Amino acid sequence: MSALSAELIKLKRSLAWPIVVFLPIVLVLAGVATQLADGRTPENGWHTVWLQSVGFYGLFPLAIGIAILGSLVWRVEHRGSNWNALMSGPVASLRIVTAKAAVVAGLTALMQLVLLAAVILIGKVAFGLPGMLPGEYLTVTAVLILATIPAAALQSALSMFLRSFAAPISIALVASGISTGALMAFGNAALVSPYAVATRAALLGTGSFVDTGTITGSDITAILAATATLTVLILAVTTMALDRRDTRI
Amino acid sequence: MSSTIVETSNLTKRYGQRTVVENLNLSIPTGSVYGFLGPNGAGKSTTMKMLLSLIQPSSGEVQIMGQPMTRGTRRKLLGGIGSLIEAPPGYAHLTGAENMRLVQRMLGLNRQQVDYAIRAVRLQDQMGKKVRNYSLGMKQRLGIAMALARQPQLLILDEPTNGLDPAGIEEMRTLLRRLAGDGVTVMVSSHLLGEIDKTANVLGILSGGRMIFQGSRSELMVASNPDVRITCSNPHAAAVTLKSFSARLTDDGEVAVPGLDDRQTAGVVAALVGEGFGITGVRRQEQTLEDVFMTLTAGGGL
Repeated sequence: MSALSAELIKLKRSLAWPIVVFLPIVLVLAGVATQLADGRTPENGWHTVWLQSVGFYGLFPLAIGIAILGSLVWRVEHRGSNWNALMSGPVASLRIVTAKAAVVAGLTALMQLVLLAAVILIGKVAFGLPGMLPGEYLTVTAVLILATIPAAALQSALSMFLRSFAAPISIALVASGISTGALMAFGNAALVSPYAVATRAALLGTGSFVDTGTITGSDITAILAATATLTVLILAVTTMALDRRDTRI
Repeated sequence: MSSTIVETSNLTKRYGQRTVVENLNLSIPTGSVYGFLGPNGAGKSTTMKMLLSLIQPSSGEVQIMGQPMTRGTRRKLLGGIGSLIEAPPGYAHLTGAENMRLVQRMLGLNRQQVDYAIRAVRLQDQMGKKVRNYSLGMKQRLGIAMALARQPQLLILDEPTNGLDPAGIEEMRTLLRRLAGDGVTVMVSSHLLGEIDKTANVLGILSGGRMIFQGSRSELMVASNPDVRITCSNPHAAAVTLKSFSARLTDDGEVAVPGLDDRQTAGVVAALVGEGFGITGVRRQEQTLEDVFMTLTAGGGL
């Protein structure tokens, strides 16, 4: 807990906040831009708004967003001799790795909540849709928050080992593209990739790509099982790698 | 408590074919201020990083507080070691106070420990400022405060006077002496002897990755064994007579004989007297510690 609460201080005045707020808003607006411009109401109401914003968001912008957050969170550690200070303290590597991954995952979770709020706001205010966003999408948001944890842990690890800000982001872009392809080709077997887990969760209930349109218990179970396994695996491997690594000369 | 707090045996670091640190047997007495000297690139930072287990030695080992320092034990031992390696740490987008609060939370310290560290480096009036706007000297002091807050038994400082003005350097010396007075063992590196000469009571001199001297100031002066200078009648002839001792004539008309111990000196004087020279003065050439350091590091060894 102490390592995590120390991490929270580092988020003060961080560039991560604008990303968390503006990335989902921009994506929701981009998703519904044509309808907004034409002044048309989405034909399937809430479902269309959700599909066009969240469905698209899950394909690769989500992975890029996580990657940017990972790079921002680690950037301060690569400055000056902060890395040396971090590694010459008594805090165990596992706690450092877990705290950083938790911060990236936490920021990502906030990003999903902003996304949810943006979808509701656009639906009510811009389109004047009747009623409320169907409750199933609240479940999807909750699943999505959990399902982004492995990708957050992996991006945190990449940004830890790579001093470059952009390299982990390019990796996220390529890997999430491949993962979406793998989802199409192999279905839930592709959930061995953390990016596929996040994308699969974002597609829940949209009826596009691999999704059938109905949210099934088995899909959710598969996503959550992959989430738990991958998170433990990634944190363990990252900790081992960090312990074995020499600081740079 | 054992008498040495840090002990290395044949500590070596190689990068490919290049040996950066070779067979280092470092020994830091508990409670001392250990001045770790050497020109830039001698391997001082690499050695300090191995002591902290930031990098693994290629061979040899490090013992700290009587325990081997390895990847398995380092986190436990690091709780008692404060360090500052290369540039001072600190998060530029945070204030000094936020940086210290971060250290406090990370290490589970109390408010008193943090306040003590801040006062020790006299930074209490600058805590509201962002570190980005700190001068180098202030960053250096914040870095030391961050290292001190855990109240370490051992403090490892890599070139802490780098970039400081003379007043800052003097303040650093005072701080190190005060810490040593409080029982903290301090290891401090520098490429300038003058900066730590007055503070350190044990010196280790590194050159080309090898330890060329380790001991007290006075031991260093003895080990450096300066030339014996003889003032006599007919110095030209005397220099020729002592040719087998590699004697030479100095500009002042003295005969300088290198590498003599006390017994040999007596022998040389007796020989000259026997040859009929009139001896009017025999003395050791006076050397400053700086001269010794320069000779040692330029020559690569004793």
